[in-house]
Amino acid sequence: MKIFRLSLFNLKRNKREAAAIVFLTLVTAFLMAVFAVSITQINSAFDRCFEETGSADFTLLFQSDKYRDIYRDILEDEYNVTDVRESSVLLGIGASALSKKGESIAYNMVFATESTERKMENFKKLNALPDDEIEKLSHPVWLPQYFEITGGFAPGETFTLVSGGRDYPFTVAGFYSTGLYNSDNMLKCIITDDDMVLLSAVYKEYRMIAFNTEREFSHVEYYEKCSEKSSENVSNIVMAFNKDTERRLETNFLNIFLYLSVFLSVVTMISALFLILHKISKDIEEQMVQIGVLEALGYTSRELSLSYIFEYILTGGVGAIIGGITAAAFSPVMDTLTRGMMNRDVHTDVDVLRIFIVVISIIALVALFALSRAARVKKLPPVVAFRKGIKTHHFGKNILPLEKMKRSINLRLAFKGVFNDLRSNIGMGVCIIAAGVAVMFSVYTFDFFKSGYNGLMGVMGMEFSDISVLMMSGVDGEKFCDEIRKFPEVEKVLLTRATENYVEIKGSNYGTIGAVCVSYADFSLTDNIHLKTGRFPEYDDEIMISAKREETENRHIGDNIIIKGDVCEKNYIITGIVTAMNNSGMSVYMTEDGYRRIRPNDRPNTVEITLRNEEDRPAFTDKLIAMYGASAKDTAYEQSAQGSLEERIRAKADEKMAVLISQYGVTDVDYAVRIGDTVISGNSSRFVIKEMSSMKDIAKSQMGPIAAVTKTFSFCAVIFIAVVVAVILSIIAVSAVKRQRREFGIMKSMGYTSRELMIQLTLRILPVTVISSCIAAVLSVWVQRAFWMAAFGVRIPESPTLIIGTAAALVLFCLIVTYISAGRIRKISVTELMTE
Amino acid sequence: MIPVLRTEKLCKSFSNGAAQQHVIRNLDLEIMEGDFTVIMGASGSGKSTLLYALSGMDKPTLGKVFFGDADISGYTNDQLAVFRRKNCGFVFQSIYLLENQSVLDNVLTGAFAVQKNSPELIKRVKELLAKVGLDEEMQKKYPNQLSGGEAQRVGIVRAVINEPKILFADEPTGSLNSASGRDVLDIFTGVHENGQSIVMVTHDIKTALRGTRVIYLRDGKAVGEHKMTKYGGDDLKERREKLTAFLEEMGW
Repeated sequence: MKIFRLSLFNLKRNKREAAAIVFLTLVTAFLMAVFAVSITQINSAFDRCFEETGSADFTLLFQSDKYRDIYRDILEDEYNVTDVRESSVLLGIGASALSKKGESIAYNMVFATESTERKMENFKKLNALPDDEIEKLSHPVWLPQYFEITGGFAPGETFTLVSGGRDYPFTVAGFYSTGLYNSDNMLKCIITDDDMVLLSAVYKEYRMIAFNTEREFSHVEYYEKCSEKSSENVSNIVMAFNKDTERRLETNFLNIFLYLSVFLSVVTMISALFLILHKISKDIEEQMVQIGVLEALGYTSRELSLSYIFEYILTGGVGAIIGGITAAAFSPVMDTLTRGMMNRDVHTDVDVLRIFIVVISIIALVALFALSRAARVKKLPPVVAFRKGIKTHHFGKNILPLEKMKRSINLRLAFKGVFNDLRSNIGMGVCIIAAGVAVMFSVYTFDFFKSGYNGLMGVMGMEFSDISVLMMSGVDGEKFCDEIRKFPEVEKVLLTRATENYVEIKGSNYGTIGAVCVSYADFSLTDNIHLKTGRFPEYDDEIMISAKREETENRHIGDNIIIKGDVCEKNYIITGIVTAMNNSGMSVYMTEDGYRRIRPNDRPNTVEITLRNEEDRPAFTDKLIAMYGASAKDTAYEQSAQGSLEERIRAKADEKMAVLISQYGVTDVDYAVRIGDTVISGNSSRFVIKEMSSMKDIAKSQMGPIAAVTKTFSFCAVIFIAVVVAVILSIIAVSAVKRQRREFGIMKSMGYTSRELMIQLTLRILPVTVISSCIAAVLSVWVQRAFWMAAFGVRIPESPTLIIGTAAALVLFCLIVTYISAGRIRKISVTELMTE
Repeated sequence: MIPVLRTEKLCKSFSNGAAQQHVIRNLDLEIMEGDFTVIMGASGSGKSTLLYALSGMDKPTLGKVFFGDADISGYTNDQLAVFRRKNCGFVFQSIYLLENQSVLDNVLTGAFAVQKNSPELIKRVKELLAKVGLDEEMQKKYPNQLSGGEAQRVGIVRAVINEPKILFADEPTGSLNSASGRDVLDIFTGVHENGQSIVMVTHDIKTALRGTRVIYLRDGKAVGEHKMTKYGGDDLKERREKLTAFLEEMGW
């Protein structure tokens, strides 16, 4: 009891420090507990969603016209797959839809009917209009939850698809829960049979096969088997989706935030422990005579040590318990956040045991550290304590003697002070390093996302042109490019292939749909393909691989890699490693000549146009249409032109040709129509452009929300860590003023102003702050590289100016906080000190 | 003689909750240049409070303190600090050396507050220390390795190193044994002989004998003044008797 009273006495004396320790342990417990509860609950929520919706773990989407029944047979025969569900759907890659604000956004969407959906999943309806109202709707659509949570749509509102300059308005009947098609990767909308027929003229038909298997399923192996039996390169006609990839897509950022929270909690825990060590040391130093008196009165050193330990178990315990309770109470908020990031309804159960373990661990850690420092009391028998310990008997070397001073006395005295409190400075250094790494990492992340999705585009490892023109087969790509280059609005034109350009890599176990092969004649003209190491390929037997492939497959520059084309396989030498997030970070890059080695007849079919001013895009698109005519895709849905009979017939013929070209892969069409004696004939050579799209629009819809959330989170993290650093430094400064009150009083009596003494105290932390900030800068770069490589398989560009600037800002911030906190020196009265 | 310090209706009060304690009351006083002024009085008469008010260590509650023509009673704390470093030296009863600094550094900390580092300054500091009996070896020591007398000698050197216009001392021999006290007073006498103005608070008659003027305080007012010649210039016994008579008259 008497020990407890001593602890309470100490607590009352140092309310500010006690409050800081409560705050730091509270934050630590909160962040740790949220992490401990959420990290498993998120995965179980995802699994639960799959169970409830009855969604299959794997889905394959085959182009309908190229689908063979044998593909399903292989699944059933060779993979023992049961419960295969098969149906027809429409697929729109980069399909445009109007957002709530009326902006056109590109999505990857699958369209299915209600009966199809019931065949594939349970069609679990969520928020919806009443049945009688739905029945009255002419074009009802059931949207996945993504559109409710991220899109902000509500039942009864209009959801408009846009294609070929035409709007297809639907009324949102409600939302439903789906397993695989509820992310940026792919969204599935349920429409009526009539609307399905209507949209079949707009989007391509695919065969959807959904299945579960308990065996390990290798997509590459399956495609090889399909290709063998059908003599067709199956990897080029299929898209695959599976639960693991979906889980990764939906939970990746959430997990990143959770791990960042742990990182922050480590910073706060280190800060709390440092504060405890610092405060016990200073308390013992300050109360040495009192300790001697108490020992003389019969208190044992063990009892006195315990009084310090109890003090921190009490403060740390209060903080940890409140933090744990807050984390439990935070569960509904976490559910809302998780819902927003996963686009699914999530309910996490509060795991009391995990929270309890976190709280107990924090209290144990606090007790352990307090014990390690409080044990010093044992080294102070009464006589030593009365004499204020052996430490004040200075027998050491005079470090930085004033006699040899060259510049300011304030600077010299400050630096002398550094050596007088070396242990505390080392502790503070560790604290600043931890906080510095966290703050710098957050600053880099904020900087990366500051201009929205532009940062992400820079590490995708693919080009995001303003306009992407898919040319009709037979069009001379080079000539087309030359013509486009002559427009004054155009900054750059690159000739390449459509993005769904898959190749197989021999010996690669990774990937579900092969590797996207990116090819350009000259990579030095690209903007977003950045080398991590090595050089761009120059010859036809050279290739670059992604950083992630380098790591996962242990392939390096100079290694050989075998790429399988349609009919042959060729050997390439790796010349460079590319930062790439697209295709799950597994793309390969080769020159145009290199690509032709495996696919000799495959000509580049896409022209990527970058404009000098992005805002010129609508006007320039009109210019292209005026010069080359509308794209086949757009023509397919145009209203027939007005005018003479011949004009109307030609317009109708164009429309028919366009449908054949854009929907059925037809390359050349000739037609002739006889009306009486008149023959009206023509061919598809009038079509130059098959389709026009914008990769930037797709990037905007997919990366925009992620960029915004990450930017906000990293900004909040910077503010939070700044608060923690400010609390720690202000406590250190205030405790230094308290401890050195006598010294400062003497200095004041000698004529040193409060301002000079404040500067001295501030400059004392300068060396440790500068050294710690430099170490933090180096570590933060390393942490950033490791984090991005582990999370996304990329290395984001580092700005030396930003690194140096952040480190300098951290030093400046520490100095300002210390200077302001040292303001207490002003309150030291020389007279009071002299008359004590 | 020219007054180096002057007070006009100086008042200093302390409040403790509702209770107000008036320590100095409407005091008019002049401290002359070159004088060795000793302030005496019973405990609680306001001796130390007056010393701190005169030296700019503390601000008066009412009234004014003039240093030459400058009214320092309206100075901010930092202005007072600058005033102290330029014009005043202090010797305390509790000595107040900086524990983490060597003897030499203690003096230099005071010196560098006013003067720039130069070989001449270092030489002068060392010579002064040597003059008060602190040789090179002693100069490297730390305060906790010194005796009280040695420490106070460091304190005096630190106080005079900037050649202040006025030297304040608050019972400088109060914590010393008689031999050490005598040594310290000899130093004060020596400094005064060189023309240094000194204001010293004491309740010790032997210490007061070193002065040239004794002011007696009672309840915050100067109730008497006794003038003496320079110490050593007259018969010590007679000097002592006259001072004792004055003090007895004052009710000491």
